Amino acid sequence: MSDVHELVPLNLLSAGQLALVEQVLGQPDVVHRLEELGLRGGAAVEMVQAGSPCIIRLSGNKLCLRADELVSVLVRRGTG
Amino acid sequence: MTERPKFTVALIGNPNTGKSTLFTALAGVRQRVGNYPGVTVEKKLGGMHFEGRQFQLIDLPGTYSLAPRSPDEMVAVDVLLHRRDDTSRVDAVLSIVDASNLERNLYLVSQVLELGLPTVVALNMTDIARSRGLTIDLERLRQRLGIPIIEIQANRRIGIDELKRALASAAEAKPTERRSPFPDAFQAETAQLQTSWSANGKRAELPRYLAERLLLDTSGYLQDALANDEHNGVAFEEIKAARGRLSAAGLPVPAVEAQARYGWVAEVLSGVVTRPAKRPVSSSDRLDRFLTHKLWGTIVFAILMLIVFSSVFIFADPVMGLIDGWIGSLGEFVGNLVPEGPLQSLLVDGIIGGVGSVLIFLPQIVFLFFFLAVLEDCGYMARAAYLMDKLMVRVGLSGKSFIPLLSSFACAIPGVMATRVIENRRDRLTTILVAPLMSCSARLPVYAILIGAFIPATTVLGFLPLQGVTLFAMYVLGMVVAAIVALVLKRTLLRGPTPPFVMELPTYKWPSLRNVLQRIGERAWSFIYRAGTLIFAVSVLIWAAAYYPRNSVEVSETLAPRRDALAAELEKLPEDSPRHAELSEQLGDLENEIAAVYQRDSYLGRAGRWIEPAVRPLGWDWRIGCAAIASFPAREVVMGVLGVIYNLGGDLDVGEESDQDRLGTRMKAAVWDDTGEPVYNIPVALSIMVFFALCAQCAATLVVISRETNSWRWPIFTFVYMTTLAYLGALLTYQIGMRLPAFISG
Repeated sequence: MSDVHELVPLNLLSAGQLALVEQVLGQPDVVHRLEELGLRGGAAVEMVQAGSPCIIRLSGNKLCLRADELVSVLVRRGTG
Repeated sequence: MTERPKFTVALIGNPNTGKSTLFTALAGVRQRVGNYPGVTVEKKLGGMHFEGRQFQLIDLPGTYSLAPRSPDEMVAVDVLLHRRDDTSRVDAVLSIVDASNLERNLYLVSQVLELGLPTVVALNMTDIARSRGLTIDLERLRQRLGIPIIEIQANRRIGIDELKRALASAAEAKPTERRSPFPDAFQAETAQLQTSWSANGKRAELPRYLAERLLLDTSGYLQDALANDEHNGVAFEEIKAARGRLSAAGLPVPAVEAQARYGWVAEVLSGVVTRPAKRPVSSSDRLDRFLTHKLWGTIVFAILMLIVFSSVFIFADPVMGLIDGWIGSLGEFVGNLVPEGPLQSLLVDGIIGGVGSVLIFLPQIVFLFFFLAVLEDCGYMARAAYLMDKLMVRVGLSGKSFIPLLSSFACAIPGVMATRVIENRRDRLTTILVAPLMSCSARLPVYAILIGAFIPATTVLGFLPLQGVTLFAMYVLGMVVAAIVALVLKRTLLRGPTPPFVMELPTYKWPSLRNVLQRIGERAWSFIYRAGTLIFAVSVLIWAAAYYPRNSVEVSETLAPRRDALAAELEKLPEDSPRHAELSEQLGDLENEIAAVYQRDSYLGRAGRWIEPAVRPLGWDWRIGCAAIASFPAREVVMGVLGVIYNLGGDLDVGEESDQDRLGTRMKAAVWDDTGEPVYNIPVALSIMVFFALCAQCAATLVVISRETNSWRWPIFTFVYMTTLAYLGALLTYQIGMRLPAFISG
C-alpha cells in the first residue's frame, strides 16, 4: 500500500493526479529559475500530460517541463 | 522649443501577459525596432502623447525575474538603473501583470519596487481570471501595494486612457522609497558590499539592487558582466564570504530570494484573491487535451505544418512571379534608357539582377511569418515546441528549435530570424548555425535541372520513381548533416549544461490581426534593409568579376567582325524571308558565343580555370567551378551563370521547362576541353547537387546570421564549415560514384 505522503519524483505522477511540491533539487541557479516560475516547495501541481517533457498545471497556468539530470522535483501525492 | 521634456516609461512584465499588445495600444504604429548595441537583444521604442506631454516608451524583454543571467535580463536591469548611454533615464515603470496568475507576476513586481522608481501596475487578463472563477479585491490590493493599479484589457483597448493618466502623474512624482522584502541580515550584507565596492576608488558606485543581485547570482553571469578591473577579484572573495555568513544565519543564497519575495507576495495577496473550490474546465483545457495528445496532437501538428508550408509556396509563387516580372521590366526599362556598355550591364545585370534575386524571397518571408505569427499569437507555438521536444532532444536541442529549422526549408533567413524565441544562447546559436543546411527553395531549381537531365526516369523497388527518390535524398542529406553538426557543436564548441527545458503554455486566444501585421512588418523590413544593403555590394562585385576585363582578342579579331557582318546582312533582308529567320538565329548564337568568350576570359572565368585542379577531383570542369564561385553570393544565380557559359544567354528562366530542357541538353553535350570526353555523368551531377545541398552559398543568410549573433565570427564559421563539408561531400560522392560500375555508363 502506498502512503499518500510518500515522496516521489514529479514524473511518476500520472495525468490528472494532484500533488504538493516538497523540494526542487539541483544546481542552485537552475532551482532558482524554477522558483521564479512558481515551481517551489509548497506549490500545488497537477499532472496534465505525463512523460518527458511533461505538462503540469501550476496555480492555473500550464508549464511544459523536461526534468533531467540537472534538476529533479520531489512531490507528495494528494492535495495536502 | 516650448515643448516640455519627454518622459521615459519602461514597460516590463512576464512573457504571455499581453505586453506587446499593451505596447501597441499605447504607442500605436509609432514603434522603432532595433538592437541594443553590442548585444543581440531586441530594442523596441515607441512614442506616446497624453494631454500635450510626450512620452518615450521602452519595451523591455519579457522576463519572469529581474535577475541578470542572460543578455536580455542584463539589458532590462541596465535600462532601469540607467546604466546604458543609449536609453534615457527612466522616469516611471509600467509593470503589466496577469490577473489570472498574480502570485508569480507579483514576484517580478517586488523586484521592480526595489528600484525606487515610480511604478504603475497594469492589471491585464481580468477576464481570464474571472473565467477561472477567481475574484480579486482590487481595493485591498491597491492599499497593500500603495501604488496605482489600473485594470485594463489590452486587446480591447480598455483602460488605456486611465493608464496613460496614471503614468503621467507617476512620471512627475518623486522617486519612491525603496522597499526590500529581504530580512535585515541580508540587507546589511548588501549595504556592506556596496560600501566595500565603492571604497575602491577606481570603481563606480554599485547600485543597491546590483549589490543584492551579486550576492544572489550563483550562476556567475553578473560577476562576469561586471568584471572590468583587477580589483574585482577582491570583491568576489567578499561576496563568497558574505554568502557563507548568510548561509550560516539560515538564509542560504539564492533560495533566500524566493523565500523573501514569495513571503511578501503571500502577505500582499492574503484576502485579496479568492479561488473557487473546484477549478472549472476551460475551453483551453479541452483544446489542449486534443492538441497536446501524443498521437492526435502530433497528427494535427503534422497536418498544420504541411498546410503552412504548402501555402507558403502556393501563395508566394504568384507574387514571386509578379516581382520577377517587375524586376525584368525594370531591367528592360533601364536597359533601354542607358546605352549598351559597362554602365548598362552594371545597372541591369549587377544591381537590378542581383538585388532582385534577393527581393524575390520577400513574399515567402511575408507569408511564412504570417502563419508563424498567427500560430504564435494564439498560443499554439508553445504546444508545437512541446510535441517536438522529444525529437529535438536527441540532437542536443530543445523543442523550441524545431520551428526555425522547419522554416529554413522555405528560406534560411526567416528561419534564422525565428530563432529569437530560443532563450538559451547555446541552443539558439546551434540552431542558427545548422539552419542553412536545410534545403531551401533556392536549391530546388538546381536539383530539378540536374535530376531532370541526368537521373534516368526509372523506378526503384518497382514503384518509386528514381528522380523523386533522388530529390528526397537531397533533402534528407541536409537534415542528417544538420543533426550531426548540431550534435558535434553541442559537444564541442557550444558545450555546456543544458538548462532544464521549461516553458509556459499560454492560454489559447484568438490571434490579433494588429499583432500579426506588426510582426510581419518588422520582419519584412529588417530583411529588406539588412540583407539588401550587403547584397547590393556583393552583386556589384560579382558582376564586375564576371564582366571585366572584356578585352578578348578572339572577340575583337574574329567574332565581332563576323557579328557585324551578319547584322549588316540581316538589315538588308526583308523581315519575313526564311533567310532572315535563319540569319537572326545565327546572329543570336554568335552573340551568345561572344558572351561565353567574355565570360571565360573574365576574372571570374579565370578564377574558374585557376581552381580547376581543385574541383577536378569532384568531377568538375572549370565551367562548373566558375558557376559554383559565382553562386556564393546567392545560389540561385548558378543557372544564369551556367546558361551564359553554355552559350544560351544569361537571361534564361529556370522556371520555364523548355529552358530547363535546353540547358539540360547543352550540359549533356558538354565535353572536357582537353580529352573531349563528356563532362557530365551521374556521379558528376550528384556531386554538384551534394555540393549545393551543403554549401553556404547565400550572402543574405550570412548577413542575417551576423546580425542575429552580433558578430562576424559565426557567419565566417558557418561559411567555412559548410563549404568544407560541401567540398568533402561532393568529393566523396564523385569518387565513390565513379567506382560503382552501374553509374559510369549513365
